[in-house]
Parts: sequence; C-alpha cells; structure tokens
Amino acid sequence: MAPAEPNSGGSASGGATRDQTSVKVPSKDPKKKDEKKDEDLSEEDLALKQQLELYVERVQDSDPGLQKVALESMRQEIRTATSSMTSVPKPLKFLRPHYGTLQTHYEKMEDSDLKKLLADILSVLALTMSPEGERESLKYRLLGSDGDIGSWGHEYVRNLAGEIAQEYAKRQSEEAQIDDLMELVVQIVAFHMKHNAEPEAVDLLMEVEDLDLLVEHVDSANYKRTCLYLTSSAKYLPGPDDMLVLDIAHSIYMKFEEYPRALQIALYLHNLQYVKQLFQCCNDPLMRRQFCFILARHGVTFELYEDMCAEDEEREALQEIINNTKLNEGYLTLARDIEVMEPKSPEDIYKAHLIDGRGSGGGTVDSARQNLAATFVNAFVNAGFGQDKLMTVPSEASSGGASTSWLFKNKEHGKASAAASLGMILLWDVDAGLAQLDKYFHSTDTHVIAGALLGVGIVNCNVQNECDPALALLADYVDKEDSSIKIGAIMGLGLAYAGSQNEHVRRALMPLLGDGKSSLDVIAFTAISLGLVYTGSCNEEVAQAIIFALMDRSESELGDPLARFLPLGLGLLYLGKEESVEATAEVSKTFNEKIRKHCDMTLLSCAYAGTGNVLKVQHFLGQCAQHLEKGETYQGPAVLGIAMVAMAEELGLEMAIRSLEHLLQYGEQNIRRAVPLALGLLCISNPKVNVMDTLSRLSHDADAEVAMAAIISLGLIGAGTNNARIAGMLRNLSSYYYKDASLLFCVRIAQGLVHLGKGLLTLSPYHSERFLLSPTALAGLVILLHACLDMKAIILGKYHYVLYFLVLAMQPRMLMTVDENLKPLSVPVRVGQAVDVVGQAGRPKTITGFQTHSTPVLLSAGDRAELATEKYIPLSPILEGFVILKENPEYKDDN
Amino acid sequence: MLTVSVKWQKELFSNVEIDTTQSPYVFKCQLYDLTGVPPERQKIMVKGGLLKDDADWSKVGVKEGQKLMMMGTADEIVKAPEKGPLFAEDMPEEEQVVAVGHSAGLINLGNTCYMNSTVQCLHSVPELKSALIKYPPPVRSSAVDQSSHSLTVATRELFNDLDKNVKPVAPMRFLTALRSKYPQFAQLHNGIYMQQDAEECWTQLLFTLSLSLKSPSSSEDADTVKRLFGVDLVSRVHCAESGEESTETESVYSLKCHISQEVNHLHEGLRRGLKSELEKSSPSLGRSAIYTKDSRINDLPRYLTIQFVRFFWKRETNQKAKILRKVDYPLELDVYDLCSDDLRKRLEAPRRLLRDEEGKKLGLKTNEGSSSSTDNDVKMTDAEGSSNGSGNSSKSAPGEEDVPPEKEKHLTGIYDLVAVLTHKGRSADSGHYVAWVKQENGKWIQFDDDNPIPQREEDITRLSGGGDWHMAYICMYKARDVSM
Repeated sequence: MAPAEPNSGGSASGGATRDQTSVKVPSKDPKKKDEKKDEDLSEEDLALKQQLELYVERVQDSDPGLQKVALESMRQEIRTATSSMTSVPKPLKFLRPHYGTLQTHYEKMEDSDLKKLLADILSVLALTMSPEGERESLKYRLLGSDGDIGSWGHEYVRNLAGEIAQEYAKRQSEEAQIDDLMELVVQIVAFHMKHNAEPEAVDLLMEVEDLDLLVEHVDSANYKRTCLYLTSSAKYLPGPDDMLVLDIAHSIYMKFEEYPRALQIALYLHNLQYVKQLFQCCNDPLMRRQFCFILARHGVTFELYEDMCAEDEEREALQEIINNTKLNEGYLTLARDIEVMEPKSPEDIYKAHLIDGRGSGGGTVDSARQNLAATFVNAFVNAGFGQDKLMTVPSEASSGGASTSWLFKNKEHGKASAAASLGMILLWDVDAGLAQLDKYFHSTDTHVIAGALLGVGIVNCNVQNECDPALALLADYVDKEDSSIKIGAIMGLGLAYAGSQNEHVRRALMPLLGDGKSSLDVIAFTAISLGLVYTGSCNEEVAQAIIFALMDRSESELGDPLARFLPLGLGLLYLGKEESVEATAEVSKTFNEKIRKHCDMTLLSCAYAGTGNVLKVQHFLGQCAQHLEKGETYQGPAVLGIAMVAMAEELGLEMAIRSLEHLLQYGEQNIRRAVPLALGLLCISNPKVNVMDTLSRLSHDADAEVAMAAIISLGLIGAGTNNARIAGMLRNLSSYYYKDASLLFCVRIAQGLVHLGKGLLTLSPYHSERFLLSPTALAGLVILLHACLDMKAIILGKYHYVLYFLVLAMQPRMLMTVDENLKPLSVPVRVGQAVDVVGQAGRPKTITGFQTHSTPVLLSAGDRAELATEKYIPLSPILEGFVILKENPEYKDDN
Repeated sequence: MLTVSVKWQKELFSNVEIDTTQSPYVFKCQLYDLTGVPPERQKIMVKGGLLKDDADWSKVGVKEGQKLMMMGTADEIVKAPEKGPLFAEDMPEEEQVVAVGHSAGLINLGNTCYMNSTVQCLHSVPELKSALIKYPPPVRSSAVDQSSHSLTVATRELFNDLDKNVKPVAPMRFLTALRSKYPQFAQLHNGIYMQQDAEECWTQLLFTLSLSLKSPSSSEDADTVKRLFGVDLVSRVHCAESGEESTETESVYSLKCHISQEVNHLHEGLRRGLKSELEKSSPSLGRSAIYTKDSRINDLPRYLTIQFVRFFWKRETNQKAKILRKVDYPLELDVYDLCSDDLRKRLEAPRRLLRDEEGKKLGLKTNEGSSSSTDNDVKMTDAEGSSNGSGNSSKSAPGEEDVPPEKEKHLTGIYDLVAVLTHKGRSADSGHYVAWVKQENGKWIQFDDDNPIPQREEDITRLSGGGDWHMAYICMYKARDVSM
C-alpha cells in the first residue's frame, strides 16, 4: 500500500467536484443500498457513503468484534483512497458529518487496542475537521496506536508536522515535556527523508530545534539536497540559528566525505578549527591541494603545521598554494589562452575616435589631472599582466627614456600613484615586481619613494611569501619623517598583510596612532591599515588604539574628511562579526558629537556587512529618513550600510535596490550622493540593466557629486566585464564632461575599471557560487566607497591612491582546470546561467542557456560551469578558480 | 659556515655559503659576484627585516638551508628629468586656449545674441582676421568715417580677445561702436535693448568692413571683403511680352535661399532665389511689363554666404514672421550648376584636378603601375589649366603683397560648410541666435553666447528647420580650392 507520494498523488483521481466518478472504490456490500439517494452523488459514491455510515454505526456497537471489523474496514477505506492535493479524499469527506459522533464515542470507550485504532482514525479525520489551532490530529495521533505514520499518506504527515511545530512552541513556553512529540518527529523525519521531502524534514527539525536528528537520517542519495537546503536557508535565519544550521550541514558533509563543501562551510563560519580538522581527516594529497586552492581564493591566512601535514615537502607545496603563489601564473595562462597579452594603452580604452566631433581637447599640452587618470587606467587595465605601454616600457635612452618620462609626467603626489601603478601591473608577481620597483627606492623624490613603497604592498596583495619581503622593506619607512613616504609604507603594509593579523605589522603601526606628532592623514591611513590587517578579528588592542586616537583628535581635525577613516578602521575590525561590535559601539557613544553618529553608523554597517540582516537594513533606512542637522555626515555610511548588509543574498539585494530608488526620490542631497555608491556595491562587477539605467541617469545629475559617484559606480558595476553598453555610456560621458576636469577624471577611472585586467578580473567579494564572502575584498571595497563619500577631498585631492584599495578585491574571474601535477589541463566545460535548484527533487539541471568552451574560461556574474566530459572528475564541486581534475577510472574512450 | 639559498628575481642561487665570522657586507659582496648588483643596492630579506651591513649573524638567526630573498637591480636609478613637463593646470590662462582647442564665448550683454552669433561666425574666417590686423592702413581712405573706423577697430580688438581667452569675453566696446554706427541696433523697448535680426547685423557689419578694409589703391581686387564674400551675378532680364532682353551684372554678399512650398533642399531654394520677376516700364511697349530676371553666378567668393529667407513681414501682426519649413543643406555644396557658362568653363579644370586628387586620397591605394598614369593625368590637367589660367586668376589678387608666388589657388565651385548661424523662436526680433562654427581642427563648436559646446558633425545638418529647434538662418561655406 503505497502512501501518496507528493508528486504522484494528484493525477489519478483529480478534482474536488462531487460528481467525480473516476475513483473506483470497491463497494463491499451492494445490498446495503439505501433508498434515500443523494441526487448529486453517483451510485458508487453513494454506496461508499452508506458503507461508511454503516461502519460508523458498527463502531458504536457493543460487540468488540464487530467494532474491530468496522474500524479496520474504515481504516482500509481511508488508506486506499487516493486523491489530488486539492480535494479531500472521498472517505474523509463522507465521514466528516460523523466526526463528532465518533469523538463522543471515543470518549466513552475503555482503553483498549480498539480505542487506539479509533484514535488513529480520528487523527486522520481531524486533518479535515479539526478547527484551526486545536491540533486534534496531533492529539489523537499521540493517543493512537503509533503505527506507521506514512501509511496515512503524505498530506497527513505534513499536517501533523505543522501541528507538531505549533504544539512544540506552546509546550516550550509552558516548559512542558516534549518527549512524545520528539518520537513523532523522528518518525516524520524518517518518512520525509525517504520520500524526497528533505526541505519538509529540515523545516520540522528547525521548528523543534533538534537539527542533530538530521544527521542520522541523511543518506548518500539525499545529503546533497539536504545540505543545499540547509545552507541556503541559513541566509534567512536569524543568528545564532544560522550558524547551527551550517554546523549541521558541515557535519553531514563531513559524514559523507564531501570535503570541499565542508571546507566552504567552515570558511563561511570562519572556523579555522574545522579547516584544520579537514586537513587531519583527509589524506588524499590531491584533495588537500584542492583545499589549498579554495583557501587561497578566499584569501585567508592559514598556516599548515605538522599535525595537519606531516611531510615537510608536501606541506611546503601546500603552503605555497595557500600563499597564492600560483595565482599570477594561472592568470597569465588564462590571458594567453584568451589572447589578451598585448598591453593596452589608455587611448585604446578611451576610444576617442568613436566620439566624433567632441574630442579630448587639443592635447598638445599635458594635463596633470588627465595624466594621472591615464596612470590609473593603465594600471587597472594592465593589472597583473606584467607589461604595459607606459610604465614598463624599456627605457630606450639611459636618461629620459620612455618609462621614466611617464612617471615624471605626473605631478607631485601623482608620481606616487604612478610609481605604485607598477605594482598593480606586476600584481601577484612578487619576484618581478620587486625587481622592477627597486629602481624607485633610490629616487630622490619623496613621492616616487612613497609610490614604490605602496607598489610593494600592491604586488604582495593577496599573496604571501615566506620571506615576508613587504614587511622587511616597508617596516623601516614607517618611521620616516616625510608624511607621504609614511603613508606609502603604511598603506603598503595594510594591503600586503590584509587579514593576516600579523603581529609584526601591528607592532610597526600601532605606535603611530598614539604619536602626537603624526599628522591626521598619517593617523587616518594607519587606522585603515590596522583595520585591514585585523579585518574581522575583533582585536581588542587595536580597537583600543584606534579609539584613543579618535578621542585625541581635536574638534577641527574631526571635521576633516580624512578623520572618517578612523571609525572605518575601527569598523573593519568587526567586519561581519555582528554582536561582537556592541561593546565598541557603546564606547563610540562617548565620542565628540561631530563624529559620534558617523562612527556609530560605520561600526554597525561593518559589523553586519554581508549578513543580510533585515532589521539592520531597516535601521539604516530609518536613519536616512531623519532630517540632517548641519555638518553631520552619518547618513552617507548609513546608505552604504544598506548595501553592505543587503548584498548577502539575491532577494535582499533586489529589495535594497528598490529602497535606494526611494531614497533617490525623497532623500536629501547628502543621501543622494551616497546612493549611487551603494548601488555600485550591490551590483559590483555585475552590470544589472536596471541599475545601469539608474546610474546612467544619475551620471547627468545637476549635482556634480551625485554625478561623480554615479560615474564611479558605473565603473564598479561593470568592473572587469568589458561591458559594451557601459563602455559606450562612459565614452559619451567623456565627451559630455570634457570641460570639467574632475568629472572627466571620474569618467576615466570608471573606463579603466570597466576594462579591469582587460576583462579578466572581477571585484566581487563573493565567490564559490556567491556563497562565500572574502572579508578582505569587502574591506577594500568599503574603504574605497567611504573615500568616495567625499570625492573632492580625497580622490580628487591628493589621496587618489586610495583607488588602489580596490586591489584587495581583484581576482581573476576564471575557471582554470589543472591536472594532478597542477599543470593547466584543457577540458570542455559547459558555462551557463546558474539555476536555483534549492528544494527541487531529483537531479535538476543546474545551468541554463549554456555554451561549451574549453578551459580556461571566464565566468561572469551568475554563471556556473560544469564539466562536459566524463573523462575527468573535478575535486571540487564548485567549478571556479583553480580546480584539480583527476582521471575518471570508469571512463571508457569511445574509440 | 652556513649554506643558504638566495632567491633573486626569478633565479635561485642554491648553496651560497655564509661566513658567519665576517660581516654581512662580505656576504653581499659574494652576491655581487653572482648577480652583479652592487652591495649598496642589495636588499636581503631575512625573516622579519632587512639584513644590515653591520649586523651580527648570530642575532639575525639564519638557519642552515634557509631561503633568503634578495631584492635589487643594477639598473640605473630613476632620475627626474631636468625640465619637468609643463602642465595645463599650471599655465597662464592665455596659453590654455591651445589646449582647449577652440576660442572663447561671448557674454550676452542683454539681447545681443544676434551680434554674438554673427561675430562668432565671422571670427572663423582667418582671412578676415589677417585683413583686420593690417588695419588701419597707412593711408586712410577718406570714405571711412569716424564711426566706421571705430567699429572696425573694435572688431579687430574683439577678434583678438576671442583668440586669447578661454573665459568668455564681454564685447562691450564692439557693441557700443556698432550701436553708434547703426543706431537701429540701439532700439529700446520698455527700456531694454531689443533683439535684432542677425542677418541685418551681419550685412551691416560686412558693409562697414568692406568700406574700411578697402585698400587705398582703389583697385577692384583690393576690396578684401568683396574678395572674401562677394558674389558676382550676371542676370538676364527678359520680358516675355515684348521679347526684350538685357544683361545686368551685380555684386552681392550673400545668396538668398528662397523658401516656398516646393523647396526642400538648399539647392532648390538657391535656384529659386536666383530667379525673380519684376515689373518695370518697358521702353518698347511704353508701359510697365513683367520681366523675368534670371541670374547666374559669374564669380565666386572664397566664403559663400547663404541666407535662408525665413522671415517675411507679416502685415497683420506687424512683425517679421518666420517660415519654419525644413530646408536641408549639405555639408558639401556644389554650386556649379548655378554658375554662368563663362564661370563653368573656368571651373572645369580645377574641378577635374580636385576630383583626381580626392580619388587618389580615397585611396583605392592605386598600385604602382597605375600611379604613373595618374601622374600623367595631373600633368595634362596642369597643362590645360595653365592654358586658360589667365582667365581664372582673378581671385588671386595679384596686387596683394603676400600672395605666394609659386602656385595659385583656384576655386572649384565646391564648398564646405564652416559656420551656421541659427535662430530659435518664432520671429526675427525675438528668440535666440546661436553660432555653430567649425574649428580649425575640424571639430564643431556651438557658441551659445558665453558657452561653447562641442557638437558632432552630423548634428550640424540637423539644424535644417521643421520644428522649434535651432534652425539655420545663415550658412557660411568655405571654398574648396586646388592649387595649380
């Protein structure tokens, strides 16, 4: 007797109409026909009805034998009835009028097996009869015979689960016993898990707060779906439930040895202990390498010890992967495969020939602003390629060769950005990068030295090296007199050791905060760098130091836009750490009122960044609705906060975009200035058409700051996509704003961003199918956005090098398959739009509209790849970044 | 003795021995041998810091087999160039003009956009500028009165100002001179200066300049303005009734584009503008009769001015009403078929030459073999040109002192659009005048009073009317010439 399966029940009998005749119910006793026919009923139905009425009568009979027969027949009748989801099965319908009779009879019965049998039937009848909230189905079930729960059909089980959830909540509040409930729960979960209804099982267990039960019931057939449901529902759960859910998912993955997924969850939970465990329990050397690639992509600093990997040689090799030393190599392989090695000049990006009529002016005289823009564009476009047309050109003549002359075509602090751009061009290639930067160290120009120091930081960004060259080179310069050199070294350290919590860096930087002689900009950059190095660490000492530095600032200093970097540095310490920020937030309430609210907003937005916490989004929206008093600046961080919190998952993201649209319409000017930036963060490297249109509209706004923010954001949403539409928009903007040097500068930067790494890079801090958020990448973006809140003072002023903070978020958007020796291996893959398969039964297609390419391939936002060959087995289920393939032993070549 | 490996750039030197009794400087010298990097340029990274020359090995904590990293190159140190580049931001304002690529705008002094747009259009004629620079001539012609003189000087100064500035110029002096010379431009309405007809301003200004710039040698060719803008017409006046026919010649500064129901294109309008009917007394009939006047161009100027007759006097409303009809005009205008037979003959040779040159330019990249034949062609046309060259050299003004002696410029009857003066609004004395001028670098700039806005070439031809957008009122074409 098969219970109705959820997706097979409907088709057989269909509708709810009374004259439905398709159900053939075996009529037991045709002679017992009553003359009084219900006109609407067919003969068979009528027969059934009478039959059931007879049973009801018999149940009340005094003869237990007769009672038993009647009850069992009734049960039989109910169980055999099939029905669609939308209609009540016939026997149940006909028994409805007798529910009360049976109930009263039940009360009168003495305890016996028969009574239990009746309770079972009443429990089923209550499915349709029980008044809302009475939970009679559950009540009778508990009184009943404990038989196989599934035998009553799926709908019954589901209803029961619902009632259990309610009952559980009630008993919890009364602190009553729940053992009997839990027994039922076990049954139900087992039933659900067997019948492709994992989401229902998980839901029930979440209601009764006993997810651990799940681990026993998952098997190799359904654990993937179960975990998928767990991980995706975690985003919508309030803390700490989400952590619990992920923990369960982790243990299930561990149970089924799905290690890469387990690693993902461990990283999501920031639980390095789990990572360590993984290394301890997985001995497959290839698998371990794959772990290292995943760790490297996430950008965590993780050191392998002997207890994780006993063999020195292997450990070294693994550590090298974690240190990202392969990144540059893989990136260049990708570039060669796609044939974009040829360096591009800024002119190739501006494409001025496509704008007829309006050019970029006469151009016989160098404009420092435009040259600076070209420096950045050149750096962004040729990032990581190791060659370009401005900085790395071999100097032809010993004096005044091309490479030196470009450096000196920049003015003062512009030279710092120009020298540092060399670091960007040689990104991740520490050996070559340091060699090329070396010559600038001996310059007599302080700006050039500052740039070289910053360049060292950029080269080492996201890459660790056992010799720690960045620390060795930069640490000494932190104490130099000249403030631009200081800032170069400080920022360089911040970039190179972001997220590493490196003690040495802390010892080098902390004294600067307390030094009374330090100027505000030095302190601001120190705070940012410390925030970066200790991103999401909640480090008390650093927090203290920044707080003291903030308190020491005079009122006028706090009014400086750079002072806002201090709260930001503080906020970064708590990035994504939710409640941990509370103590510090409390302290911040004692700050000077000039910065108090700003600090509060910054701290909150950082702490809840990437959590999708709806309440916090509402809180920020509420702040934006307030009237601003003169001189306050907290609404900018609040608007950014909306984006930072809501960017966690798709639904919240869409809602945030709509809320921001409202802010644009009703918000005050300072809010409108931040909205484009928030949009830029929400859709970073993901040019959604609606956002693109909004930003395009804003890029012509009457308020120059709104326009600048919108233009930069156009660059951000198109970052690394080569999106032709955005490129066209920016080209038109470049001619529209050709007279306004500041706006033109922004347009140029945006153009450089759109062609970031010639379209091979992404700025999205999310990776691994948008599941993991790299904290340092997010930190880099947030710093830039905060700097953009006051364009004139920072990016258009002399601190334009904050643009290099973007390097933290730069990652190749590639899928690179490598063989067991980590050599690139070209295999066919299908790349298409990812489909949401959460809660779907069976093995649904995970991508749609795919095309087949051979690796290495580029993945756009929302793309997913799958292998198009059976010949290899990927070691990671998520085909992103570096994936090791091993040969499929079962594969047979057709030839 | 310790053995370490040293990583330098992409190279790895394994088994480098360290003599721990010596100072690290000795070790650096060892590396100098290996890499060629002088010790003072070497940066050796050991865990946590740089290796100092005088450090103590025992404190550095180098272990056997450790990997050290060395940074440093033997490259020349970057030196700042002795003379840094000059940045536009640092330059004085006058020099920034070159960088901006167009001249300044003119401030509206109260309904003076008609004047501003006229000045901007005329300012784009370099020949006029150079003629003004020479003003006043050593011997002043008696025909020039004081107010004309001051207007000419004001024009010269204004043109000069426009060239020098990036910021908008206030044409105060020019306006005063214009108003004193032509008091009609000082008309007041409710105490405010009225908007005026730009065409009137254009004509009057040119007239004044033509008088004052006439060189005293009093020869025909010395009339600069006429040489630049004057169009000679030869008209056949014919009376259908009597069969009388006579020929007249006249010289005008602009051609009129007549706009009627049938006119959709500039060419059509010009043709109609050259035909007119007039009533005059016929000597043979002894009464007035209808004569048709059919004009043809007998001589072409360097700059051909075309006025769209968009305004007519509407008696009912007592104002100059505007015809909004769309009349297309080309970027390249050929007036060959409006020319008299005589002129056509003169134009033929230069036109052929021009065609050849352009064909060559369009490239079709003539292969080696055929290139010689085109050379021959050119020579032939050259020869032809010189044979009747005497006739068409009238433009070249032999009297002028600075005419280059070697080759002469010949007109071809083909003109390129260089400036458009547009009007927006419903009557000549209201609305807004704007000048659209092609710069020397080929870019178009819309001079909307003090605001120069770059425009695309295809947008220029969209000013042809048919709506309430700016529409062309005066077009100025520049002759495309060939030197032979």
